[in-house]
Amino acid sequence: MRSLFLTLFAFSLIMASCDLYPQDDYEEFYVVESYMVAGDTLPAVYLSTTAPATSPYSFEDYAVSGANVQINLLSGDGDSTIVQSFAYQMDNAGVYTPVLNHKTMPSRIYQLQITDLPNDPNSLITGYTSVPDTFSTRSEIPDTVIYQSENQIEIEITPSVNAERQSYFIFTTIALNPVKENFTPLYADFFDEGDEIGDFVKTSSGIVNEANFETKPNGSITLKYPWLAVAFFGNNQIIANTIDDNIYDFLRSQSVQLGGSTLSPGEIPNAIYRLEGGIGVFGSLAADTIQTYIKRPE
Amino acid sequence: MIKQLAAFLMLFMPTMLIAQNASVNGYITDKSSGETLISANVALLENNRGTSTNTLGYFSLTNLEPGTYTIAGSYIGFKLFRKTITLSADETLRLDIELEPNVISTDEIVVTSDRVKEEQKDIGTAEINTELIKSLPKVFEADVFRSIQLLPGVKAASDFSSGLYIRGGSPDQTLILLDRNTVYNPSHFFGFFSTFNPDAIKDVRLYKGGYPAEYGGRLSSVLTIYNKDGNRNKTEGTATLGMLASRVSVEGPYKRGSWMFSARRSTLEPVLAALRSTSDNIPSSFYFFDFNGKVNYDATKDDKLSLAFYSGQDKVNFPFGNDAEFKLNYGNRTLSGNWTHIFNEKLFSNFVLTGSQYFNYPELELGGTPIERRNNIYDYSIKADLEYLPNEKHDLAIGIWAGTLTIRLNDRFDNEPSFSSRSHSRYGSVYISDTWRPSEKWKVVSGIRTSYLSDGDYFRIEPRFSLEYKANDRIRLQTAYGRYNQYLTLITNEAFSGFDVWLTADDGVKPSFGDQFIVGAKTIPILGYGFDIELYYRTMNDIFELDPFIQDVSGLDYPELFRIGNGDAYGAEFFFEKRSGNFTGFVGYTFAYTWKKFAGYNNEIGNPDANGRRYPPKYDRRNDLNLVLSYQLSKRWKSTLSFNYATGQAYTEVLGQYSANNTPWANDELNTFTVGKINASRLPPYHRMDVSFSRLGTFFGLGEAEWQFQIINVYSRRNIWFYNFDFDENPVERTEVPLLPLLPTISYTVNF
Repeated sequence: MRSLFLTLFAFSLIMASCDLYPQDDYEEFYVVESYMVAGDTLPAVYLSTTAPATSPYSFEDYAVSGANVQINLLSGDGDSTIVQSFAYQMDNAGVYTPVLNHKTMPSRIYQLQITDLPNDPNSLITGYTSVPDTFSTRSEIPDTVIYQSENQIEIEITPSVNAERQSYFIFTTIALNPVKENFTPLYADFFDEGDEIGDFVKTSSGIVNEANFETKPNGSITLKYPWLAVAFFGNNQIIANTIDDNIYDFLRSQSVQLGGSTLSPGEIPNAIYRLEGGIGVFGSLAADTIQTYIKRPE
Repeated sequence: MIKQLAAFLMLFMPTMLIAQNASVNGYITDKSSGETLISANVALLENNRGTSTNTLGYFSLTNLEPGTYTIAGSYIGFKLFRKTITLSADETLRLDIELEPNVISTDEIVVTSDRVKEEQKDIGTAEINTELIKSLPKVFEADVFRSIQLLPGVKAASDFSSGLYIRGGSPDQTLILLDRNTVYNPSHFFGFFSTFNPDAIKDVRLYKGGYPAEYGGRLSSVLTIYNKDGNRNKTEGTATLGMLASRVSVEGPYKRGSWMFSARRSTLEPVLAALRSTSDNIPSSFYFFDFNGKVNYDATKDDKLSLAFYSGQDKVNFPFGNDAEFKLNYGNRTLSGNWTHIFNEKLFSNFVLTGSQYFNYPELELGGTPIERRNNIYDYSIKADLEYLPNEKHDLAIGIWAGTLTIRLNDRFDNEPSFSSRSHSRYGSVYISDTWRPSEKWKVVSGIRTSYLSDGDYFRIEPRFSLEYKANDRIRLQTAYGRYNQYLTLITNEAFSGFDVWLTADDGVKPSFGDQFIVGAKTIPILGYGFDIELYYRTMNDIFELDPFIQDVSGLDYPELFRIGNGDAYGAEFFFEKRSGNFTGFVGYTFAYTWKKFAGYNNEIGNPDANGRRYPPKYDRRNDLNLVLSYQLSKRWKSTLSFNYATGQAYTEVLGQYSANNTPWANDELNTFTVGKINASRLPPYHRMDVSFSRLGTFFGLGEAEWQFQIINVYSRRNIWFYNFDFDENPVERTEVPLLPLLPTISYTVNF
């Protein structure tokens, strides 16, 4: 019995002394942020690095200047032949804008290439995005809608062709009369002294799958716009966005970092990145906008 | 069906028919209440033949030579029973044994048979004394699960969770049976404590691992809970006033049996009303309740019928802003009808019809937009178990369990259906198991279980095996192996169990399976003390969990809902116990590792599609020490102390940060962390000491009464649950979310 105890004790000591899963140290990564919108001009590309978690953070402090940024339009036949290249120039530290105007083409693949990174001239950051097809809102939107009335805003969206999967939407409401007196009751309650009203001007849903909505025989979908998305009475723009896989992966993974999923509190995964040589998002979306007046109920 | 099974048994073992010797059989009961005693020992002192009662309190000793014997029965906390019996050839003696409780447990009984004094603890099993559950210091309510969490190999996720994490398994890997009926969400108060009313419970038994062929359907363990049958001698009751809830229980006899009813309800309304007058964000209403009941009918000497039910519910309304309200209504209902029939001294049977329902209805009304869920489980089954005792060397068990399981999950967003799922599956299992005692020293239990699920048409075979060698009177060496399958998974959040949803395997989602290997020793270093060691290694394969990265399940194919992974767990458990005297208690220590791995999860940054690295789940704790001491200070006063020390839980250290500020669709800054390996850091060690003092007295001469005073977290250790991050601060501020503070509680119990 004694020898059994000694053996177990020795085994326990050995196991306890080996750290089978050591903690990693901080590693700096290049961070890219750029969102192409179908039909819009080429977007700005923001380039920075990560900051240690314990340091103060601002984009300006970690902006990366002097890099060579380029976006390439690839051929539409599925291979990676570059059809057209668009050079970028640096406007401000870490902010790169296109030299020429080019309207982002729907249903095409664009490549991002970043080279000549300072302190790391041999590094290369690349990313690809497949721009969602454009769509439009068909239905007649009433000029005025009474808040929380039975007549909800109904939007009919034409199909955005995506052969491999259903569309993923994000809906955004932009208030055009954002004053404190115009807050809807819910948001008036959420607004605390010290908050900035500008933080409430643009509200957005999370990711909403196409399958949530009724699909008509012509392929269009109809959605009732939830009152929850309305923060202000008055004129509001409602924007339907369909997003590409890169934004979808980034958003769905970034949002669980601070809880709210089935993960245990304190279990934090990295976001899912679709970039080589860096992290962040190089993604694309298609959007359409309607406008209506949300009237306070009597 | 019964006749077919009986015929099968007789064909299977023709030697069974040969036995011509005498036998003795019967039930062992508590003399004071008539309750049957599970795993009580019975033996004949002259030839050291013995056995223990089954889960219905029944025993049978067969193939006895005619003659005169001294039969002895024992059970911890009861006086030794002895009686001289004379058996003639071919006689079957029916002897129901009544054991008399010890007023104060002592160890001065003289026993002359090892078979009587041995506690028949099988490998991987633990019995939880119901009196201990009540006497332990508790956070507001005496709780079965909190008591189980003190055992080695069992961990709690936090002070706020009663979920059982057993030998590396998550709570859904433990099958929980109340009177043989599956309970799907056994929690009140959103997971804070379990639904089982300690006043209604007779027996709690945990099979931590290597569990026998009789059970199945979960990868890790089985917890069986039996409600009381009710006092068969007199009508009595107990009522307890507590700070969170109060409960009442009554039981008694009637002409042909007994009955027991028990109720518990939260009593928080006055507290909430007081809080509402001074604070915002207090629920406008909150209550929970549960009812337990059992009626027994002794039809004949050989036929017993019982009907047991449980109903529990939690309901909360929580307006948390203008035009914002959260509502939750969830609970369980179970009903089981049991028929026990003794065919003869060698064939014992039990048949059960069960019905179990779980419902979960969360609702959120936010700015005029309702978001609702309707989740239901309906599980109806029939079970049959037969025990056949052909001779003194074999104990054969065979059984079936078949049923239907319906799971409905309907989500609505803004009054429109957003997700709808209904699975209606048939399941079934058959097992056969033989306990073979080739000699006094050896016990071999071999069994096989087959199971089937109609969703996906899955058929699985599970071998089970255990071996015990009794080296001497004080040392038993044990080992076990088993294959286990699980057809269900639980979508839950460790912080809040009120939204629990179960899903099944199906086409494209294979059942999980795992193997368990255990070796151990049960020893009695000194009479009255016990020292047990167990080493275990177990695998978890094809575990399917809801993919945490899915934001919206609409339109996804069923297999797309899940991430599929593997895991393993291994460890060593030590348990030292003082069982009798004024000073009792135990020390349990566990040294353990648990690992999980999912494809595409915990990869190196920038390589999201890799196969994934294994990582420890949050509840993985390297060292876990529990100490429970109980001291009878005087006839009236008793004190109990519990202390837990554990390695800090795993968490993910945040290493880097950046912010995505330029999204076209929102104002929000998407503050994003970069991390290394998931859960590679440890929170500070957890430790907490609780004490309880109880004083017996009388309630105006009408009955016994007991005051219980408790202090939770005596030295106010600020244990950490997890870290929260405040992005309003720059640099981002990490704050500690603490667990329970120092908490005094009081309760008063009256027995009438």
